[in-house]
This record gives sequence, structure tokens and C-alpha cells, in this order.
Amino acid sequence: MELRFKNVSKKYGEVFAVNDVSYSMETGVYGLLGVNGAGKTTLMTMLCAVTRPTTGEITWDGNDIFKLGERYRDLLGYLPQNFGFYPDLSVSDYMMYIASIKGIRPAAAKKRLKELLEMVGLSKYRDRKMKALSGGMARRVGIAQAMLNDPKILVLDEPTAGLDPSERIRFRNLISELAADRLVLLSTHIVSDVEFIAEQIILMKAGKFFFTGTSDELIAGMEADVWNCKVFGNKVNEYMQKYPVGNVKHVSGGVELRILSKTPPSENAVREVPALEDAFLLYFGEKAGDEDAEI
Amino acid sequence: MLKFEMKKFFLKMTTKVILTAFLLVIVILCFMAVDSVHYTDTDGNELTGISRAAAGRRLAADENKWKGELTPEKITEIAESYHELMQQYQGDYPAVEYGRTVQSYWEILYFASEMFTPDYIRALEDMDRVAEKDIAHIYGAYTDNLKNMAQEYGTTPEQEKFLEEQYGQIQIPVTYKAFDSWDTMATHAEMYILISVIVIGFLAAGIFDEEFRNHAELVFFTAKYGRSKAVINKIAAGVITTTIIYWAGIGILSLISFGIIGWSGFNTPYQITAPYSFYVITQGQRYFLTMVCGYIASLLSASVTMFITAKMHTLKAAVVIPFFMYHVLIFIGRPLSEVTSLSCFTPNVLIEIDRQLRHPHIFQIGNVVFRQVPFVMVLYAIVSIILLPFIFRSYSGYDSAKNLRRKS
Repeated sequence: MELRFKNVSKKYGEVFAVNDVSYSMETGVYGLLGVNGAGKTTLMTMLCAVTRPTTGEITWDGNDIFKLGERYRDLLGYLPQNFGFYPDLSVSDYMMYIASIKGIRPAAAKKRLKELLEMVGLSKYRDRKMKALSGGMARRVGIAQAMLNDPKILVLDEPTAGLDPSERIRFRNLISELAADRLVLLSTHIVSDVEFIAEQIILMKAGKFFFTGTSDELIAGMEADVWNCKVFGNKVNEYMQKYPVGNVKHVSGGVELRILSKTPPSENAVREVPALEDAFLLYFGEKAGDEDAEI
Repeated sequence: MLKFEMKKFFLKMTTKVILTAFLLVIVILCFMAVDSVHYTDTDGNELTGISRAAAGRRLAADENKWKGELTPEKITEIAESYHELMQQYQGDYPAVEYGRTVQSYWEILYFASEMFTPDYIRALEDMDRVAEKDIAHIYGAYTDNLKNMAQEYGTTPEQEKFLEEQYGQIQIPVTYKAFDSWDTMATHAEMYILISVIVIGFLAAGIFDEEFRNHAELVFFTAKYGRSKAVINKIAAGVITTTIIYWAGIGILSLISFGIIGWSGFNTPYQITAPYSFYVITQGQRYFLTMVCGYIASLLSASVTMFITAKMHTLKAAVVIPFFMYHVLIFIGRPLSEVTSLSCFTPNVLIEIDRQLRHPHIFQIGNVVFRQVPFVMVLYAIVSIILLPFIFRSYSGYDSAKNLRRKS
């Protein structure tokens, strides 16, 4: 069970959305991290066979996914970033429709629908119109539809967008449960979404992979330490210009900063345990955001 | 899959609103159809208001006094009656006389006048002079005129022979039965078709637009059957909804209207309405022909709009096309017909079938002579079907990158 992409590029006009990317994935959770516009969504749509690469090839167990066609899509569950649905259908009708186009027989689909709605906590909303659901509830339906065919490859593009903090935690736990015996590719620009559940992290910037490995490897490879130091309020800008600053916290008598630096930024600086978020800050030069993007 | 595709279609708010408005239009058309039949009673009063609903049946009852073969003797009786009235009242007989006698034989008298001349304006002017003509040989005159028509419009020996054969099928003497309801309904069916091609085209296009409008395309196209059976089911849904909406609409229109005005005269020859038409059919067949042509027009409209929407992923362009295909071409087609015979094959022919039935448009390829209406029917039925695989190909070949480029 291997999903491999070899020298895959996607060009829009003169711009490379994905630029000569090669990688191989097997079972487990893969966290694809990158800022908005890094090329995550383009990569995902290529992996889901809705966008053809300009060059390169994507294979599943050695077979071109575009040639596999139905056989590949049968293994696939996809939650797109902009998850759209049919607003006038009820939740159960929507799910039954998706089940039908996924080739699931009605009897099996009904059973699966019941299980999945229970899993995402929407059982009592099964007769509610899709348009009457909140953003978070619709997202949960999105996750459920992706799981309908018990996919071997589960591709989730910004799955937590629009979810509140408690739903995010619930979702993370759900992904962990689902990850056994399948390949889960989770694209996000929210580090906390993948920090504890992804076995492999892929950092993507300007269409390229510039790091692939575990979270620990990523943190261990950081060429800077993480420091916590307290400074006066009027010095904050100076520090921000000089160092990558993670957190800025106002405390009595000044401001606490979380700084990335090879050397202690101040005399009172205390070394902290680095986290994935610090690596994100270091490599992308900005804090993990919460906005949505489409490229 | 098809069940949910249909459910998606009929649950859509746009569909509900449009179908409700469409139903309202059908009810208005029923009202117009009933209202277009006029009846004057024996006191000379025209039925108005709610009693107008009885006009169709009362008129048919009056006219059916003359039902049966229109022999020269019967025509003579009618022509003399009318001639006497015209003389008695110096061309301006009162409504009482119209209600008592003229109303019942007006159609027959006009037909008799037309048998003497293919010029329908002259025929109208000559109605009071039919009695002065050689009615004993009226069918002889009619047959001679048909022969002349065959010679005039048959520009080759094959065409002339073809026309003679067609005209030869007209049964003489003509058998009459009141047919006003079929005549009225043929006109109103065309009005219905004029509207239905737009409504159906728009609704069918929506089947292929909704994934993109709702941003549901990525889930759809990544599903196992998202590029195969699901697309076939969408096409099937388009054809089925077109069929259901069209036939339900015309069914409602026909049932209500015929239910009120009556259905006398199904077997009355179309030649009583258009004596020089070479379509030898009955009034009922003429109505069915109109309905079938309307169905083909609706199918074509649906196929074209589905194709354009499948290609462009938006129904903005698709809604304009049926309007151009039918409504604009009606206006362009008429002056265009003076210049080129191509206008005889444009899709608008399907929605103004009554006008086409009256005109002797025949064409020839090699030795084969064919008539306009059946040719156009077959042509556009085939085009509608041929477009279906192209709809499949356009939609199932979706690539999100192309869509992204299109949007930007």
C-alpha cells in the first residue's frame, strides 16, 4: 500500500503551484504543513485525481492513479478545503447520495450512515436540511462523507477550518482512531491539528517540500533554541525585528516573549522545550495562522 | 443514485419556485384557451363571464348539426343560407342570425370558399359568393387546385409526383365534425411549448451546475462513480425531468382545457383548416404532432443547455441559448426564409409547427423527396441524443485546475 509521487509539478501559467515534488506515503497520518499559498491544496487535488500534474506521475502501488480511475477513487475519501454540499437535501439524503456515487449498496450505506453519524455526533440531526447546519456541523458531515466507503486513503484538506476549539479536539481524536490501516493525509496551516497525531510531517513552501520526517526530527533539526524572556514593553518591537517571536504575553512589569535564537536573546532568557509550532515559525518565518486559502 | 439525483432536482428551491410559476402559467393558458372560444346564443348574446366555459361545448353542439360528409348538397344548403342572409341584411346581418345559423356553419363555408381558391384572403372575401359558384363540382375545383399546387411547388418531376401522391390521400368528400377545441388547443399548445423550452432548458442546465454552484464538485468527482455512472445518472435525470415536466405540463393544459371546451372532432381532417396542406392528418393528429414536436424541442433545449453547462460549469450562458434557438430564430427565420431555405431547418420550426404544416416545404436529395416537418423532427431528435455522450465527456473529464483558471 504505497502512494508515491515522483517529480510532480503543477504549473498555472508561469507559476509553479507544486514544483518537482517526490515522496512516498504508506499507512499512518501525514501532516502537510504550509502557509497559505504553499501549494497544499493543489497537491491534494492531484492526489485525489481531480487535477492532472503538468509533469511527473502519481502512483498507487505502482499504478498511475489517473489510469486506475474508478479503482483508485474507490479507495479514496476526500474532504476538500471548501466543502460544499447540496443545501436542500437532508443530512441522511446527502449521505445516501454520496454513498450511491461511491458505489455503496443502499442497505450497507444505511448501516454505515448510522455508524458515521454517531461517530461525528450528528445522529439526531439526520433529518435536518444541510443548509440548516452550522459550519462545524457541516464540516463533521464532510468528515463522515469522506469515511463512507471506509477509504484506504483519506485526504483531509484543512479539516478543522470553521470548527470551534472543542470540535477541533474531538476531530483530532477522531482522526487518530481512523488512522489505523489507512493512509491519512491531513493538510493544514494550523500546527496544533497535526502536532500530536501526525507520524510524519511534510513542510511545504512555495510548491516544494523542504522537510519531511517526524515531528521530533523536525524539532531536533532546528538551528535555533527556544527562549522565554521578559522585556519592557518599549523593547518589544526591537526584539521582534531582531528575532522570530512566537508568543507575546503581557505580564506585570513587562512582556514575556517566546523567541527563537541560537544564543540567549537576553540575560534573563530561559531555555524552553521546543515545539512543532516553533519549527513552523522558524521555517516559515511566520506564526501558524488560522486563515483559509485555496492554492 | 438516480432516485437521489431526482430528489436533489425536485427539492431545490429554484426548481420549486420555477415549477410553481410554470404551473401558474399553464393555468393562465387554460383560461386563455377557454376564453378564446366564442359562442353567440340564439338571442344574439355572446357568452361572457363564467358561462364562457360552456362556449366550446355549445358551439360544437351547434356545428355538429352539419357533421358527416360535406357533400355538394350540404355545402349548397349552407352557401345559400348565408347568401340569403347577406342579401337580406345587405352584408351586415345581426348577431341573432349569427347565433342562430351562421355560427354553426362558418368554418364549413370558409372551407368551401377555400376549395375554390388557394388564396385565403380572397376565399374570405368570396364567402358570400360561394352560392353563385358551381358547387356541384366543388370537389372537382378543389382537386384541380391541388393539382395546380403540385405543379407550382413541385419544382422537379419527383417533387410534383410526391405532392400529387400526398394530395391524393385527401379523402373526398371531406367528413366534417366540429373541431374548434383542437384548433384552439393547437395554438395554445404552441404557446405552452414556447415557454416550456425555456423553463426546461434552464432547469435541466441546473442539474449540471449545482456541483459547482454549491462547491460540491470535488467530493463528486473523487467518488468512485463520480466520473462514470453518476454522470450518466445526471444525464438520465435531465432527460427524465424534461419528459416529466413537459408531458405533465401539456397534460394538465390539455386535460383542463379539453375537459372544459370539449374534444369533438379528433378525426376531422386537418384540410378543413388548411385545405392545401399536404399533411393529410386529422385535427387530433395535428395536436399530437404539435405536442411531439414540442417534446423534441424541449429535449433539444435540455440537451444543449446541459452540454453548455457541463462544459462551462455555469448556467449563465446556458439560459440564453434556448431563447436564441427558438424565440430569436422565430423572428429572424421569417425574413431569412425569403433568402435561404436553411430557415426551414432551424430548431424554431419545432415550436411553430402549425405554421409549417400549412406551407408546402419539400426538399429533395437525389431522387428522394422529403417533407420539412418529419425531417426536422428526426433531425433534432437525433441531435438531442447525439449531444448526450458529449455531455458525459465534458462533465466527466472535469479537471479542477482548468476550473481554477477559468474562475481566475
